[in-house]
This record gives sequence, structure tokens and C-alpha cells, in this order.
Amino acid sequence: MLIAGENNNKMIRYLGSWILAGLILSGVGLSAQEDMSLIPAGSYTPFIKGITEEVEVEGFLLDKYAVTNADFLEFVKANPDWSPENVKSLFADSGYLTHWPVNYLNDKDLESNMEPVVNVSWFAANAYCKWKGKRLPTLHEWEYAALALPKNDSDSAALTRINSDWYSRKTAVHAKVGSTYENQYGVWDMYGLVWEWVDNFNTVISNEDSRNNEDAPQGLFCGSASLNASDASDYVAFIRFAYRGSLKANYTTRKMGFRCAKTIK
Amino acid sequence: MKSITFLLFALILSFSACKEQAAEKNSCCSTKPAMAQKTSGGMPETSLYQLNQQWKNQNGEPVQLSDFKGSPVVMTMIFTHCEYACPMMVNDLKMVEDQFTEKHQNVKFVLISFDHERDTPDRLLEYAKTQQLGENWVLLHGHAGKVKELAMVLDISYEQLENGAFAHANKKFVLNAQGELVFSQEGLQTKAEPVLKALNKLL
Repeated sequence: MLIAGENNNKMIRYLGSWILAGLILSGVGLSAQEDMSLIPAGSYTPFIKGITEEVEVEGFLLDKYAVTNADFLEFVKANPDWSPENVKSLFADSGYLTHWPVNYLNDKDLESNMEPVVNVSWFAANAYCKWKGKRLPTLHEWEYAALALPKNDSDSAALTRINSDWYSRKTAVHAKVGSTYENQYGVWDMYGLVWEWVDNFNTVISNEDSRNNEDAPQGLFCGSASLNASDASDYVAFIRFAYRGSLKANYTTRKMGFRCAKTIK
Repeated sequence: MKSITFLLFALILSFSACKEQAAEKNSCCSTKPAMAQKTSGGMPETSLYQLNQQWKNQNGEPVQLSDFKGSPVVMTMIFTHCEYACPMMVNDLKMVEDQFTEKHQNVKFVLISFDHERDTPDRLLEYAKTQQLGENWVLLHGHAGKVKELAMVLDISYEQLENGAFAHANKKFVLNAQGELVFSQEGLQTKAEPVLKALNKLL
């Protein structure tokens, strides 16, 4: 049997932390953002040392979950330009939403499908976030938020383990959002579910001004730029950065989804 | 770690294989008709002019990219506070123009600025004067979101640095009368001939 006093104490602490969180959120005018987490300002060292060694990241809001098929279906219904039939190839290649059934408009399963939407281009992801009054997270925002350890886990190797397990998996298992792990900001599945588009995925990573004719992503592939890597043992980050460099904004792949962010005003 | 490296390359290989196949037979990824055959709004689907964006030129007049429909365009992205790379890019384009003949009279040079904050139409006009750019040169100013979208379409990677400058890839493009990319050239102090050749094919 629980001792009432202790229970009350817990309750008070629990309520207290929520009230505090509520104060923080309402303090920045965002009390109604239940589907987003506040990522506090801070700094981090990106995998590739380039323009600056430490990057400052301002506080921002990030979707707790990746956008689901159900979410994206709503978007397509409201924005027919982004339907698989109407989308222009300038904005999405021929793989766009190919995992959806032909009769997607009347598909009950899709309406409630909580797996992350994949086979979407950067343009589509960008348009979705705009429609929601949000935006795509920047590369630094995404990487910074993803650095947070799993909730109740202080083992700094936890993320590397999650990543290695994930990348070694041979087949793409599409689980539901919220099925891998929650991080300390309350954000789910940053690793382990799908790759995610970021606003500036094709950012120049080289610090060579614009004089260098060599494209930064190619530099990554040939290994020269990996000399700049802030942590040479971080192969998983290497793969993530290299993969981003191989993308174009109209590409779609069955491993790539997205989530949205929002600037704190 | 070996297996991860292997997976990376497998991933890249399968990716590029898919793309090649798609270009060839369009069989691997979908049952949709091939890109080039599709049109929308009287323009090819792959036309840059599908971007429905408003810009302002150096005279402060509103411009849509589709306004350039009908004649070939040489396009690049720059910013006017750029001290080194951009003047060279502009110079490369001037070298192309130097070899123009009568038949090239409708070709336009379109320079779009990365710098949505500092490159106002006034500033662009000043730059056009300093650089002695003729009337067939159009310099465009637009908001950050448009710049980003256009750079994405052109596959130009860029990033604003802390000092306000932009690190960016140096690419020049030739667009046909329909706004499709038919040629791209990367680098600085490039040769004019390949650009001219691409233009001449369109004339």
C-alpha cells in the first residue's frame, strides 16, 4: 500500500513541474502546442567542423512525432496540387507517395495510419509544414535536438547503439510513430524510424568560402572532408551527413519522412 | 563498422541505380508516365517556370520567372557583397555575352540574389551599373523562402555565414524557351564555349 504523504509529495512535484512547464510555455506565448516540444537554446558541435566549431541554436519548437500517413492524407485532400496525380515532377520525382493505395482518398486504413509518411520530397515536406503554420527544422536544429539522450537514460553511448542497430537492419520496417524512444525533450523517434528532411539539407559544409569548386557533398564522399569530422568515430553521423549530400529536393525515398518545427515568437 | 560502411555504399548504389533505371525505362519506382512527356499549365512539368514566385527586378518591378518564357536564359545565383566568387561568375557570363551575334539578341541573363536582406532592388541596380550590365541582364530580389526553393530546384547548395556573406556553389545554367534546364556548368573562370554551344542549340 502506498503511503499517502509520499504519494501527495509526488503529486505535488508532478503538478509543480507541469505548472512550471506551463509557465515557460505561456511565457513565450505557446500554451497550446501540445504536439510540439520546446527545445531550449544551446550549442553543439556539428559532425563536420566548418564555418564555426560550436554552433549556437536558438530555442525552438519541434514536432514530437514525425508526420504520419494520416496527417499527410489530410494535407493532400486540402491541397490537391500535392496529390500523387497532380504533383509536378519539378517538385517530386516518380516515387512520390507510391506506397499509398491507388484509391487513397477513400482508404480507411490510410486515414488512421500512424506510420511516418515516406516517399515525400523536400518540396512536399516544406509545403506541408507551411500549411500547418510551421516550417522544416534547420540542419543544426535537427542535429541539436537529436543529440538529447533517451528519457531516463544517462548512458552517453545510448544513441550510438540505437543508430547502429537501426542502420544495420536489412529491411525497412515501418513502425508507428512513437514506437522507438522518447528523448529528454519529449521528442520521439529522432533515430530508429525514418530519415528526415531538414530545411537546408544541401547546406555547404565546407568552410572554403565559395572559391572551392568542389561540391561539399562530394568532398564528404571522397573522404577528404572527413578529416574535418569533429568525432572521427561517429560513423553514424557521417552516414547521415553523406546521405543528405546525395539528395535533391525533388527526390523521394521510402526511408525518408519529416517533422516540422516552429520559431518561438 | 565495416558493415555500416558497406550499407552506406549499398544505399548509394541502390539509389543511383534506381535513378538511372528510372531515366531509362521508368520501371523501378513507379508506373507513372515518364517526366519529359508530362506538361502542366502549357509548360513542361520539369520547367523552372512551374515555380509560381514573385520577385522584384533591379527597377523594383514585380517579375515572375515565367515572364522569361519564350527565349533562352542564362541563369545563376549570386550576392552583391560577394568579393571574390560572384564578380568572377559575372565576368564569366560577360565573356559569353562578348561572343554574342545578332541571333543571340533575345537571350537574357538572369542573376538571382541569395541575399534577401541586403540586395534590395536599389542595391541590385547599383550593382548592375557598376558591373556595366546591359538591358538584357535581369537581377532579382526575393524573400528567403523563394531563394531557398529556387536554390533547391537548381541544386545549388548555400549557407549564410555569420558575417552575412554566403558560401555557395558556383553554377551557371542555360534554360530553354520553356524554362527547362538544358545545360549547367560548375566552377569559376569557366570557358564561354560550352555555354554558347548550349545556347546555339536553342536558337
